[in-house]
Amino acid sequence: MEIKKYSRYVWAAVIVVTLTTILAFSYQSVREQQGSFSLLLENYVLMAITVYLLIFLILLVFRYALLILYSFMDHLESLSSKHDRPENLYREDSSLPMVSLVVPAYNEGLVIQAAVRSLLKLDYPNYEIIVIDDGSTDDTYEKALGVAREQQEITVRVITKRNGGKAQALNTGMTAARGEFVLNMDGDSKLSSNTLRACIRHFENPKIGAVAGNVKVINRENIWTKIQALEYVEGLAMARKAQSFIRAVNIIPGPLGMFRKSVLQQVGGYDDDTFAEDCDLTLKLLMRGWHIAYEPTAIAWVETPSGLLDLLKQRYRWTRGILQATTKHSHALWQPRKAGINCFILWYMLFEGIMWPFSTLLGNVFFAYVGLQYGLATLLFYWWLQLTVLDVVAASYCVVIEEEEPSLIFYAIMFRLFYINIIDVSKVFATIEEWRGHAMTWGKLEREGKL
Amino acid sequence: MDLISILATVILVTTIGTMIVGVGAYIAFKVRDKRKPSKKRNDDTLDATDQSEPIFLKRYIPVSAVGPSTYEQ
Repeated sequence: MEIKKYSRYVWAAVIVVTLTTILAFSYQSVREQQGSFSLLLENYVLMAITVYLLIFLILLVFRYALLILYSFMDHLESLSSKHDRPENLYREDSSLPMVSLVVPAYNEGLVIQAAVRSLLKLDYPNYEIIVIDDGSTDDTYEKALGVAREQQEITVRVITKRNGGKAQALNTGMTAARGEFVLNMDGDSKLSSNTLRACIRHFENPKIGAVAGNVKVINRENIWTKIQALEYVEGLAMARKAQSFIRAVNIIPGPLGMFRKSVLQQVGGYDDDTFAEDCDLTLKLLMRGWHIAYEPTAIAWVETPSGLLDLLKQRYRWTRGILQATTKHSHALWQPRKAGINCFILWYMLFEGIMWPFSTLLGNVFFAYVGLQYGLATLLFYWWLQLTVLDVVAASYCVVIEEEEPSLIFYAIMFRLFYINIIDVSKVFATIEEWRGHAMTWGKLEREGKL
Repeated sequence: MDLISILATVILVTTIGTMIVGVGAYIAFKVRDKRKPSKKRNDDTLDATDQSEPIFLKRYIPVSAVGPSTYEQ
């Protein structure tokens, strides 16, 4: 146990010793040629970083190209399936299975009534709503009960329990669910009326264990939220759609995910040992061999942080949570034959979660240093430009596919100009703190009740 | 100074500026998080197992206001 605890430090020491040995040998050759050691060191470091950044850029271009290609293939596939099988011929209303909507709520008093009322308007004949009050200290329970009492047609149940976190609340909902399918969502999100019909049709395929929904930002009120709106559009229209093409979506978003209840029970529901329980559960499903689809027309409208510090708090938690979930399933990283596509998914997550923020930050520091030291600021400009071009191309594609506001493409430039630099700093610190095993708390974002 | 040089200077200044803002914002977020009072730590009603026990306060009645026989009982 002790060895495992300190293994990361041993690895770090080995790397430092190796690098020092290489430099020491190089020193001998410099002495022979009467050169400067600091100059040699600088040349070595700059050359190593240049090679690394070149590899990173190649990977990045490959990543964008692959995601756009697969995403477009998925788009074509969904268009052709719609053409072949019109939705109204899909199933009779009377044969649609029951779906239980689980709404975990912790201090969502401001938004819970609007959220539950919006759920009552869903276009589906056979569903129930279960609100799980996770030991709120405000009036969430009373407000949810108020809506439940005034409702006659659709069953609304409100369960209150001691505060135990979102994972426990969702598990409570799963246990109480009477439906064959369970839709998990956030207490502060609003669903599009076609959500249940759109998601349920994927379960005709017996290999599909869960369906991830689309998430869009509702409070597009300032530059932070507008850039986040673009981020969500890109993340879902490009990454999620591409993953859906290979039936291996890596994160079923917390605001909207539908599951077979039997599958949830099979994997033991949500675990509360990570801060990204949705990512952890998705990986558990993938490891068990279940396929996960993405449904772009099922939309959850969510309120995103409108201030910088709340945004950093959210991203900090996401970064650490995803790293925890990846570590938990890290055995698949080294078993490509056994794990198959899951191995690729985990490496992809590590690329997105660790390599990308570290590399962009490293690139910025490197090119800023070269610009200041050697007067080559144009290099930084070209570095920035190529990343921005990739962002703009991806944003344009996603805006067209999602039929979103064209003005969002402009925010791709803002995204690269300042937004991602600030976010990446937090992600890097979060990764370091996770690596060092710092304690952290869940945190609760303050809602403004925009729904 | 040509256009590329001007743009390069703008990007250089922006990049350095945003990285400094990023570090500052991260420190501010951590400080703000630490300053928020932790309910558990300040909640005196929690016992060793983190279970909260109800506190029943007894109304204070001065001795002089109570008859000697009642008080003794």
